[in-house]
Amino acid sequence: MTQTDILLSDQEDLRLLRESARTLFERAGGSGRSRKLRDAGGCWDADMIRELAEAGVFGVTVPAENGGLGMGLAAGGVIAEEVGRVIAPEPVVMTIGLSLGLLRRLCPDHAKLEQLVGGECVLAVAWQERGPNGGPAEASCRYENGKLTGGKAWVVGAVGAQGFLVVAEGGAGPVLVLVAAGADGLAVKERRQADGSAMGELSFSGTPAEELASGGAVRDALAEAISDATALAAAELVGLSERAFEITLEYIKTREQFDKPIGSFQVIQHRAVDLNVMCEVAQSGVREALGLMDRETDPKVRARLASRAKARAVTAARKITRDAIQLHGAVGYTDEYDIGLYLNRALVLSAWLGDDSYHRRLWLEAREQEGAAQ
Amino acid sequence: MTDWNAMSDAEFRKEVRGFFEAEYPEDLRNLPHRPKFAEIEHWHRKLHAKGWVAPAWPAEYGGMGLNAAKLLIFYEEQQRWGVNRGRDMGVQMVGPLIIKFGTQKQKDYWLPRILSCEDIWCQGYSEPGAGSDLANLRTRAEMDGDDFVINGQKIWTTMAHDATHIFMLVRTDPDAPMKQKGISFLLAPMDQPGIEVRTITTLSGETEFCEVFFDNARAPRENLVGELNKGWTMAKALLSFERIFIGSPNLAQNALGQLESFARGRGAFEDPVFRDRFAQAALDVEDHAALYARFADQLKRGETLGADVSMLKIWVTECFQRITELMIEAAGPDGGTIGPLQVGNVGVDVLSSFYKARPTTIYGGSNEIQRNILSKAVLGLPG
Repeated sequence: MTQTDILLSDQEDLRLLRESARTLFERAGGSGRSRKLRDAGGCWDADMIRELAEAGVFGVTVPAENGGLGMGLAAGGVIAEEVGRVIAPEPVVMTIGLSLGLLRRLCPDHAKLEQLVGGECVLAVAWQERGPNGGPAEASCRYENGKLTGGKAWVVGAVGAQGFLVVAEGGAGPVLVLVAAGADGLAVKERRQADGSAMGELSFSGTPAEELASGGAVRDALAEAISDATALAAAELVGLSERAFEITLEYIKTREQFDKPIGSFQVIQHRAVDLNVMCEVAQSGVREALGLMDRETDPKVRARLASRAKARAVTAARKITRDAIQLHGAVGYTDEYDIGLYLNRALVLSAWLGDDSYHRRLWLEAREQEGAAQ
Repeated sequence: MTDWNAMSDAEFRKEVRGFFEAEYPEDLRNLPHRPKFAEIEHWHRKLHAKGWVAPAWPAEYGGMGLNAAKLLIFYEEQQRWGVNRGRDMGVQMVGPLIIKFGTQKQKDYWLPRILSCEDIWCQGYSEPGAGSDLANLRTRAEMDGDDFVINGQKIWTTMAHDATHIFMLVRTDPDAPMKQKGISFLLAPMDQPGIEVRTITTLSGETEFCEVFFDNARAPRENLVGELNKGWTMAKALLSFERIFIGSPNLAQNALGQLESFARGRGAFEDPVFRDRFAQAALDVEDHAALYARFADQLKRGETLGADVSMLKIWVTECFQRITELMIEAAGPDGGTIGPLQVGNVGVDVLSSFYKARPTTIYGGSNEIQRNILSKAVLGLPG
C-alpha cells in the first residue's frame, strides 16, 4: 500500500467507527436519554457503559495485545465527538484518557485494565488537590505502609465509580494506587456541576490502597494521560458545538416573528455563519491536533498539541453555546429546551483540565521552549 | 514538454522552490507595493523563457497545464518565497476566459501576447454604483458599424495607469428582463482618445487603484468574447479556483511571522495580555491552515469545491487584520509612524501591513457578501 492508501484506509476506519458510535447513542435515545439521567440524579447508565465496551469504545487507544483496538487518539477523538453530540454523561473521555491512559502506560497487565476495557467497572482518577485559597495546590496526599492520608479534588466520575486511581506522594516520589469505592476511611463529598453531574472531593484517613506503580514513571504517565484526556475533552466539545449549532440552525429556520422565519433576517444569518465557521475551524484544528499527537512521541510536543486543541475547542464551544441561547430567545433560557443542556455541559467540559486562556498560556510557553531548544 | 502532473507532489514542490530560490531577484522579494511592469520586467522575461508564466493554462496554449493540486503547490511556493505575482490579470482572468469562450482567431491573437506581456491587462468590473451589487453596472457599449462605442465609468481598476488593455463587463442590453442578462465581456485598448485614467490615492498613500472614464471610446466588434449578453455567466464561471486561493493562509502566516519578530524585539512578550492575544492570533492561523488543508485535499481528490470554501476567506482575512492591529499595539508610541520601524538591524513597516490588511475584507466579494452566500447556499437559510 502507498502512503495515500494507508491514509485513506485510516480515514475509512474512522468513518466506520463514527457511524457505529453515532448509531449506538442515537438508538439509546440521544440527548433525551442524557436529560433523563440528569433528572434522575446525574449519574450515568451502567448498561450503557457495557454497551459502549462491547462496541470497543474504551479500548480504542489500548494496544491490541492488551485487548484493545490499538487505533490511537484520533479514533478516540471520533468517539469523544459522538459523546459530545448527545452530551452523554458516561465518563468516556475520563476512562479512555485518564484511567486507561495511566494503566496502559504503567501496568498494562493489571486485571483492572481488562475490566475497564470490558466495561465491567469505572475507575475515577484523582490527582489534583485543593489548596487553602480554594484553587489548585501542590500535592500533599501521602501514601505510606499501604495506607492513604490526605485529600484529592476535582475527581470526575467519583460518584458511581467502583474505585479510584489515586496519584499520591510516596516515600520515593509519586505513586499510583488503587482504592476501592467504600474503602475504610474514605469520604466522598459531591460538588454538583452545571450539567447535573457530580465532581468528587475525596478525603482519606488511613485508607487502604494497592500500589500499582511508583517513581518518575508515574509522573511521566500522568502528564501523558492528562495530554490525552485534554485533547479528547476538546474533541467532545467539538461534537457538542456541532450539535448545538445544528439545533440552533433548525430553530432559526422554523421560529417565525414579523411573519417570517427569524433565519431570514440578515443579522441572524451573519451570526449563524460566524458560528458555522467557528465550528468548522474547531473541527479541523482539533482533528489535526489529535492526528499529529498520534504521530508524535515527544511528551512536550504532545502536550502543546493538546493545549492547541483544548484552547480552540473551548473558544468555539463558549461562543457557540452562548450565541445559541441568544438566537433561541427567551425559550433558550428555559430548562425545557435542549440547547441549555449543551450550554451547561460546555461549561463543565471547559473548566475541566483547563480552559482556553490557561491552554493558550501553556501552548505559547511550550512553543517558546521548543524554539529555544532548536 | 514536461508533464508536471506526473511528478509526485514533493518532487514538484522541490522543482518549483528550486527555481524561485535560484532565479527570483532578491530585491523583488515581498514587495510592499504593486509594481509597474518595468520594475519586474527582467523577472517576467525569465519566467517566460522557462514557460512558467501561466501555470493554470493548458500546455497547448503555452501554459504549464497544472492540475488543481499542483497549482496549489505552485502558488504556495510563490507566496512562500515572496515572489511577486507580476501583472497577472491577463494570465489569471482574460486568458482563461478566452481559452474557454473565445474563437480560434481570438486565441491565436491574444494568448501569446498575454504570455509575453506585450499586452498588459487591467480589469474593468466595478463601477461607482456597482460594487458588491456588480450586476448593477451601467457602462454602455453600443454597436456603431464594426465597433462598439463605450460610455461610462469604471472604478477600483487596479494598475489601469500601467495597462495597455482593459477587459470589462459592459451593458449591451439595457432592456433585458434581469440585470444580469444584458451584460457582455469586451476587450478594449487603453491607448485611445476616448479613455481617461485617473489614479486614486489610497489610505496608505499608494496609487495602484484607478478610475477609468469612457467617452465614446471604441473597441472593434471582434473584441467581444463569447456571446453577446452572456458576459455575466462567463465571468462567474471563472471564480471557482480563486475562491480557495483567496482564502489561503499565507498572508496571515507571513504577517504573524513579522509580528512575532517585531514584538519580540520590542519586548512585548513580557506583557501577559499581549502574550494571550498573540497566542489567540497564532492559533487562529494554525487552525485555519487545518481547515484550508481539508479543502485542498478535496481539490486533490478531484472534487469540486462547494460554496462553503468561502469560509476560508472570511476567517483568514479577519485574522490577518487582527494580526496587523497587534503589530500597531506592539509598536506603542510608534504606532502611527510611517515607514520602517527599526528593531535590531531589521526594519518593520507596521503601518504598511495594517493598510495592506484593510481591503482584504472588501475585495474578492466583501466578507458581508460571503456571509450572505454561506447563509443561503450552505446553511439553507431563507430569504
